[in-house]
Amino acid sequence: MLKSILSRGAVTALALVGLTTAAFAQLELKIMAPAAPGGGWDGTARSMQQALTASGIAKSVQVANVTGAGGTIGLAQLVTAGKGDGSQLMVNGFVMVGAILLNKSPVTLTQTTPIARLTAEALVIVVPTESPIKNAKDLAERVKADPAKVTWAGGSAGGADHILAALFAGAAGGDATKINYIPFSGGGEALAAMLGGRVTAGISGYGEFEGQIKAGKLRVIGVSSPARLANAPDAPTFKEQGVDLELLNWRSVVAPPGLNAAQTQALADAVGKMAKSKEWNEILKARGWDDAYLPAAEFATFLKAEEARVAKVMKDVGLIK
Amino acid sequence: MANEISTGKVDRPALVVAALLLGSAGLVAYDASKQTIISTYGVGPTAMPYVVCVGLIILGLAHLVVAFREGIPKPEPADNVALVWITAGLIGLVACIALGGGFILATAIIFACTARGFGRRALLVDTVIGLVLGVAIFLVFSKLLTLSMPSGPLEHLF
Amino acid sequence: MDTFLALLNGFSVAFEPSKLLFCLVGVFLGTAVGVLPGIGPALTVALLLPVTFKLDPAGSLIMFAGIYYGGMYGGSTTAILLNAPGESASLATALEGSKMAKAGRGGPALATAAIGSFVAGLIATIGLTFLAPWLVQIAVQFGPWDYFALMILAFVTVSATFGDSPLRGLTSLFIGIGFGLIGIDKLTGQARLTFGVPELLNGIEVTTLAVGLFAVGEALYVASKRFREPEEIVPIRGSLWMNKQDWKRSWAPWLRGTAFGFPIGALPAGGAEVPTFLSYSTEKKLCKYPEEFGKGAIEGVAGPEAANNAAAAGVLVPLLTLGLPTSATAAIMLAGFQQYGLNPGPLLFAEKPDLVWGLIASLFIANVMLVILNLPLIGLWVRLLAIPQPWLYAGILVFATMGTLAVNPSPVELSMLFLFGYLGYLMRRYDYPVAPMVVGLILGPMAEAQLRRALQISLGDPMILLENPISATLLGIAFLALVAPFVMKGLDKFKAAED
Repeated sequence: MLKSILSRGAVTALALVGLTTAAFAQLELKIMAPAAPGGGWDGTARSMQQALTASGIAKSVQVANVTGAGGTIGLAQLVTAGKGDGSQLMVNGFVMVGAILLNKSPVTLTQTTPIARLTAEALVIVVPTESPIKNAKDLAERVKADPAKVTWAGGSAGGADHILAALFAGAAGGDATKINYIPFSGGGEALAAMLGGRVTAGISGYGEFEGQIKAGKLRVIGVSSPARLANAPDAPTFKEQGVDLELLNWRSVVAPPGLNAAQTQALADAVGKMAKSKEWNEILKARGWDDAYLPAAEFATFLKAEEARVAKVMKDVGLIK
Repeated sequence: MANEISTGKVDRPALVVAALLLGSAGLVAYDASKQTIISTYGVGPTAMPYVVCVGLIILGLAHLVVAFREGIPKPEPADNVALVWITAGLIGLVACIALGGGFILATAIIFACTARGFGRRALLVDTVIGLVLGVAIFLVFSKLLTLSMPSGPLEHLF
Repeated sequence: MDTFLALLNGFSVAFEPSKLLFCLVGVFLGTAVGVLPGIGPALTVALLLPVTFKLDPAGSLIMFAGIYYGGMYGGSTTAILLNAPGESASLATALEGSKMAKAGRGGPALATAAIGSFVAGLIATIGLTFLAPWLVQIAVQFGPWDYFALMILAFVTVSATFGDSPLRGLTSLFIGIGFGLIGIDKLTGQARLTFGVPELLNGIEVTTLAVGLFAVGEALYVASKRFREPEEIVPIRGSLWMNKQDWKRSWAPWLRGTAFGFPIGALPAGGAEVPTFLSYSTEKKLCKYPEEFGKGAIEGVAGPEAANNAAAAGVLVPLLTLGLPTSATAAIMLAGFQQYGLNPGPLLFAEKPDLVWGLIASLFIANVMLVILNLPLIGLWVRLLAIPQPWLYAGILVFATMGTLAVNPSPVELSMLFLFGYLGYLMRRYDYPVAPMVVGLILGPMAEAQLRRALQISLGDPMILLENPISATLLGIAFLALVAPFVMKGLDKFKAAED
C-alpha cells in the first residue's frame, strides 16, 4: 500500500516535471535552513525544495540545516564558506535581524545578497475575554499609566513579539524601557498563560491564536498589518484605532556575498518563478502563510529599513547597549 | 575526627576537584559580574549564576576538607593503550568532519579505532566493516529521512 | 455517554482495513526511526510528516498517531540496550535498564518497558478520552509559580540518583546546573558563559551531555579496565521473558508511573522529564529491594517508562482541546493538522468529530499494535548484546555520534560530546554519579525561568510562591520529602550525610 502511494507520488512528480519547460531544469540548488529540522525556517526551506523541484524550476534542491543562535551560525557559514557560490541560498527572516544584534554576530545580513521576501505574517495582541481592556486605546492608557502592571506574554526575548510590545508602548506614549515583557518558550506556554489569566496581554502570530479567538476565549486588541486580514475581517488594525504601529514577521531568502550580476539574476529569477508557481501557492495555502513576495531590489531596500528600525527598538528596550 | 586530619596524607585527586570547583565558581561569578543587562522586574540573569557559584564554593571547600581526611575513592590503574586508541578515534572523527572527509569515513575511523582499543588486531577488516556500516547509515539518513549529512568524497558517489 | 458513542463512531472509522494498514505502517516507521539515538520523537514525526501528505486527512492523522506512539517506544530500546538515552525523557529508563541489560536481564527490561508503555498508553488514552475537557481547565490554571514548585519537588527527588555519597552527588548536580547556565538567557536574551563561542549560544544539548556521559563515558571506562576485570556481557541470563517475580514487581510501578505522567504531561509546561524523575525516586523509596537500585532494579524501568508514555498521551490533552502545542513533538503534530486546514482547539471536536474520534480510536489501536510488534522483537534486540565486545562498543560509539552528526554536525558539538565522554569516564573512575548532572541540566534552566517569570508577574514579591494554593502545597510536599528522611533516621544520619 505504502509502496503504491509512494510510486503514485513519484508518477505525479514526474508528470509535473515533464509538463514544464526544461530551460531551468539544469539548475542545482542548495538551501540552508539556519535552524533545526522541524522549525519554521526549516519548513520554509523544505517547502521551497518541494515547489522548486515539483514545478521543474530546479533539477535538484538540497536542504541543509545549520542550527544555532537564532540563525547567526548559519549566517556566518553562508558569508564565509559560501562566498561566491551561485547555487547557495539561505532562508531567514525578521527574527534573524534581532538575533544578529542580540548575539553581537560578527556577520550581518548586509553582507549577504538579498534575493526575495517570500511570506509575512501579521502579529496580533490579544487579551482574555474577561479582561476589562476592550480595545487598543484601553491598553494604551494602561501602558502609559503604569507599564509595570501590564504584563506581556510572548515568544523569545528580542523576537518579533517582544519588539511589537516595545513599539506598542512607544506608540502609546508610554516608556518602552519599562515594559514588563515575559518571554515564554513556545506559543503553547504563552497561550496557556493567557487563558489562565496570568498576564495582561499576549502577542503572537495571528494563526497561533486563531482557534481561541474564534472560540471566544481571547479578544483581539489589534492586528499589526497595514490593513485588516482577509481571514479575520472583524479584527481591527492598530492604525485604524489611532495607534501608529505596523509590523510584519516576514521570511525571505538571501544568497552568499560575492556573486556576479548574472549569478544573482539567475537565483532571483528562479525564486521569482517559484513564488508565482502553482505549487508554491498551494503550499502557502496549506500552511496558512501569506504571500509577501518582494523581488530582490525592493527587498534589499526593505531589509535596510527593517534593520534600522529593529536596532532602534532594541536599544530603546534595553536589549542592546 | 580530629586525629584523622593529622595523618599527613593528602588525597591529591580530591584537591584537584576542589581546585576545579573553586575555579569554576570564580568563572561563573566573573561572567555574571560582566552582565550588562538586568531585568526591569523580578530577579535578573545574574541571580542564578550567583546561586550556582555559592553552591560550587561550598562543594569545593567540602572537597578540600575531604582531601585531608579519607579522600575520594581510589581508582584502579587504567589500560592507557586502550584509551589512547579510542581517543585517537574520537579525534580522528572530529578532524574528519572538520576537514570535510564526510560521514562515512568518520564512521569507519571511530569504528576501527574503538575495536582496536578493545583489543581486536584487525584494523583493516574493521575499517571495512566501519565503511559498510557508514554507508548503510548514510543511505538511511540521507535518502530515506532526507537529513543532510556531512559530505565528503565518498558521499558524493551516492 | 455521548463520549462513548463518539468513541464507538471513531472506532468504526479507524477499523476500516485501509486505516488499520496506515496505522500499522505508522507504528512500524515510528519505531524504526525512533530507535535511532539522537532522533527523538519530535524529529521522527517531523521527518515522517511528508510521508503522510499524500493520504486523505483521516488516514494521514491515523498514521500520524502510529508514528507518534511508535517514536515513543523506540526511544527506550537504545536507552536500555546501549545506555544511550536518545531523548531526555528516557534518561531515567537508562539508569536501571542498561544495568539490567548487562546482567543478562535485557529481555525482562525491554518487556517491562513495552508492557508498561502499553498499560500507560492505554490508561492515559482513556484519560484523554474522558477527562480531557475537565483536566485542561485545571492545567491552564497552573502559573509560573506552580511550575517552579513542581521543579523544586523534582529537584528533591534527584537525591535518589546520588549513590552512596551525598557530596559527590551534589557536586555532579551543581556542575549540571552550571552547565544549564551556558547559552542565551531565555528572559533577557543575553549570553551567559559562552566566552565568545557562537556554538555555545544555544546552550548544551541535553542529549549531547547524556549520550556523552552515559554511552561514551561507559565505553571509555570499560576499555580502561579491560585487562584487569574484563566485562562480561551475557545477553540472556535466566528467562528472556518476564518471570512471575518481574510481573509482581512491575505492575504497581506501571500504574504509579502513569499517575505521574498523564497529569504532568497535560500541563502546558509540565514536560515528560519531571514525571520520569518523580517516578524513579518514588519507586526507589517504595521498592522492597532498594539495594538493587543502581544495579538493575526492574521497578526503575517499569515506572519511568510508563510515566514517559503517559506524559506523551497527556501532551495531546492541551493539543486537542485547546490547540496548545506544549512540546516540540506537539508543535510538529499541530503543523500536521494544519496541512488539512484543521485547527485543533475548542472547536475541533464540534467541527470534525469523525476525525478527532477516529484519531483517538487509532491511538488505542496503535498502542495494541505496538505491543504486538515489539514483544517478538525483544529476542532480536537482546541478541545485539551477543556481538563480540570490540564490535559492540565500536558500534555503540558509532551510534552515539551519528545522532549528533545527523542533526548538528559541527566540530564544536562533536568535541563537546567527546569531552563529556571523558568527563563521564573520570567520574566513573572516581565514583561520582553521572545522572544528577544531566538532571541538573534539564531542571536547572526550567526552574530558573519559571521562578523569574513568577517574580516578574509579582513585580519581585517572593510571597507569590506561598500565596497560591498549588505552589504552596507542592513546596510543602517537597519540604517534607527533603526533611522526613533526616527526621526519621535521627541526627546521627544527618551528620554522616553532611560529610
